[in-house]
Amino acid sequence: MYDLRIVVEEVRGFCDMPMRPGDYCELRGSRLSIPEGFCMWALQSVLPLLPAKQRRIAEENDWVPRTFRVACPDPDGMVILRIEQIDPRGESRTGSPPERAAGREPRTGSPLPRLLVDHRACTGCRACELACSYRHEGAFAPSLSRIRVRKDEPAGLDEPVVCRQCGVARCVQVCSCGALSRDGRTGAVVVDAGLCMRCGDCAEACPFGAIRIHPDTALPLICDLCDGDPACVGRCVTGALRYGRAGDAARDVSAPGGRAE
Amino acid sequence: MKTGAERWCGYAGRVLRVDLDTGRSTIEPLDREAARRYLGGRGLNMRVLYDEVPPEVEPLSPENRLMFATGPLVGTAVSGASRVNVSARSPLTGILGDSNAGGFFGPELKYAGFDQVIIRGRASDLTYLLITEEGACLRPAGHLRGLDVWQTQQAIRAELGDEGVQVGVAGPAAENGVLFAGVFFNLARPAARTGMGAVMAAKGLKAVAVRGRGAVRVADRAAFDAAVAEADAAIFAHPEYEPRKRLGTTRLVRALHGLGCLASFHFRTGRFPGVDRVSGEHLAATYRLKGKACFGCNIPCSRFFRVDSGPFAGLASEGPEFEGLAGFSSRVGNDDLALALRAIDMCNRYGMDVISTSEVISFLMELAEAGIVGPGEADGLDLRWGNGRTILALIEKICRREGIGEVLAGGVRRAAQLIGRGSERYAMHIKGMEVFQADPRGIKGYALGLAVASRGGDHLRSEPWFELTGNREEALRRFGVAEAAERLAAAGKGVLVKHYEERCALADCLEVCKNTLVNMEILPYDQAARLLSAATGWEFSEEEVRDACERLVNLERCYNARLGLGRRDDTLPERFTREPLPPDSGPSAGSVVELDRMLDEYYRARGWDESTGLPKKETLSRLGLDRPAP
Repeated sequence: MYDLRIVVEEVRGFCDMPMRPGDYCELRGSRLSIPEGFCMWALQSVLPLLPAKQRRIAEENDWVPRTFRVACPDPDGMVILRIEQIDPRGESRTGSPPERAAGREPRTGSPLPRLLVDHRACTGCRACELACSYRHEGAFAPSLSRIRVRKDEPAGLDEPVVCRQCGVARCVQVCSCGALSRDGRTGAVVVDAGLCMRCGDCAEACPFGAIRIHPDTALPLICDLCDGDPACVGRCVTGALRYGRAGDAARDVSAPGGRAE
Repeated sequence: MKTGAERWCGYAGRVLRVDLDTGRSTIEPLDREAARRYLGGRGLNMRVLYDEVPPEVEPLSPENRLMFATGPLVGTAVSGASRVNVSARSPLTGILGDSNAGGFFGPELKYAGFDQVIIRGRASDLTYLLITEEGACLRPAGHLRGLDVWQTQQAIRAELGDEGVQVGVAGPAAENGVLFAGVFFNLARPAARTGMGAVMAAKGLKAVAVRGRGAVRVADRAAFDAAVAEADAAIFAHPEYEPRKRLGTTRLVRALHGLGCLASFHFRTGRFPGVDRVSGEHLAATYRLKGKACFGCNIPCSRFFRVDSGPFAGLASEGPEFEGLAGFSSRVGNDDLALALRAIDMCNRYGMDVISTSEVISFLMELAEAGIVGPGEADGLDLRWGNGRTILALIEKICRREGIGEVLAGGVRRAAQLIGRGSERYAMHIKGMEVFQADPRGIKGYALGLAVASRGGDHLRSEPWFELTGNREEALRRFGVAEAAERLAAAGKGVLVKHYEERCALADCLEVCKNTLVNMEILPYDQAARLLSAATGWEFSEEEVRDACERLVNLERCYNARLGLGRRDDTLPERFTREPLPPDSGPSAGSVVELDRMLDEYYRARGWDESTGLPKKETLSRLGLDRPAP
């Protein structure tokens, strides 16, 4: 039997709860722990699957083992939930549901703008990686970029992996030295290099694999939203990357440097 | 250099030499003088080819050098600066061999800290080369033998546990000794021409894998950013931007059909009746899923497609480009788009050049039609135009060098020699390399460019697109001859081709895409000089950059001259100079190429001797090329 974690992977529409990427609840045995603010509509959409997902299914052609994403039934919200099977050997870092205040995005009236990805428009050019490393490191070095395009070439998949500015940021929660915090204005996770112990726990904890470790300094490379003007978005010509609120109308993409497909 | 420190900007500053005989490799500093005189990429490779591969070195011998080189802007934010040149003496043509590819390999090589890789020798067992910042590592590749291009990439990425590894592969065609096998990157980003894959396979090398975690720095960030912004603004404002983004090169199928010079039925005519079923527009309306781009490029001119029904349902890949699309449609007389896509896909997986492959197949079909090859001589295949089963079967046979495939696998020149019986006059090659998918009779600047190209029958050494504009005033202003703007005129084409040969040289040395640098003329010489200066920290003048390009064209001519080539080799297949395009070729009907007249003008413009076609002494010394005088 697996324990499960149900994570908000992406909000493609407008969720007025609001659910935010990274919000999650956990099922341990038959005990479901629901954190404050977790939406009942989103939750009910995954509930029927959970008992099946807890079990090992050996049949190769069965759909259940290969299905792990479920959408909230609200057509405006388009909240995508991911069911994760927690390693049965025990993954103790995050512990029980996030009740602590640490890592919580500052809650204002509406969610803060964040990086939004339309992977169907991504050409896989990786200009975002160039822009990010040039802005932050002063040189073109995709291996030091805070954004990264994950590819499956034969499948035609190009997917920018971005920091999702989780409502409840697991990276901040697991940081044992208090080096990570949320920027009051942008909500971005910021690293205090003076406090960071270079343990890498944050990178491991990120549910989206969006944190990498700098090969020389061992500091985490975490998207800081370029202080509200993300360089990657400025170099994306197809609008695959946007900076805004989920559900907002796409920005005018007729301007040079921001052309729609 | 801007500072006294040994830190390179723009360039990575290192050259990797690998000796497959001993398994040893060395890292050398990039020769500053060479970098200034040849800029990078193709220029660096050609210099080594001239110095280290004299005429007695046979193309498939261990002494031949296989080289990969990138340019000083590769890996930066310059749009289209993603490319790599793969060079060696060519086994297909016997002369200069060189091919350029986009994708993601070039930048990865820069991030690994190398501008150029020079490989000599022959490995005793099948090997692949892994390049990282630390240098070269030779790894056994016996388990990769026979794997196709995609399988090889996947296997290497899996065994290294790293999806970010970029891999150049010699596919099964190269392993089997097909002479027009290329070095293939990503899904469909080959250095396909002149048989560089065959050279690689002859060295016992299955693949070159590279992974870089370093950085490319620029010397003057403010000046560099300004120059990049200027180039980007020119790209976005260009009238070619939208059509290129929408269709890329595939729009040429319809465009050239309209002009009456689309290679159709093996150049028997310039128009293809089934064009609307195989055009780029049709592909965009049917199987295209999304745009794709090379590294860092802001023109997603390629596409990802999936065929969703019919016998090829499930076929998915990147591309195709015009050359493959027209090659397996109009050239072979096939109007089934999905079949053409499958044929291109096979070439990409087996690692064969689509131009050469489509030429040998269409050549055979025309021979059958002319009665030169009988039904029994092609393994019982039905050689009528457009027979899909035959096309796919021939690709398979060529890759395996089986039956008639063995005859075709050495290129069309060799195939004609083997078949004989007057088939030579149907072999559409120049200097042993197969001609592309446009009929030179309808675009005479291209015809001249093909005839003089240093790697044989190839358009990407000059690409004089300006002759399609009809803009006589601008032609007069830029080239001194109004007719340079008219595709069917012969006048002015010498000057025009010289100009675009140097633009192509610039693109290949900076390793920036020709779509922008040549066809859109982004980065004119003064801007290119500013960008280079800002990136490298060296002061480049406009003249210096222009001279470097002219120097390269002259060096390449010297290389081929040393192999005995001259004016008599600057020819076209006689169909293009003697047989007018037939009446059904619309606006190009009746046209033939007046080659000699254009050659005279070209040699004069170049400062080459009109009788021999070789550079004059004063031309070479003006360019500082006294040393390699033939």
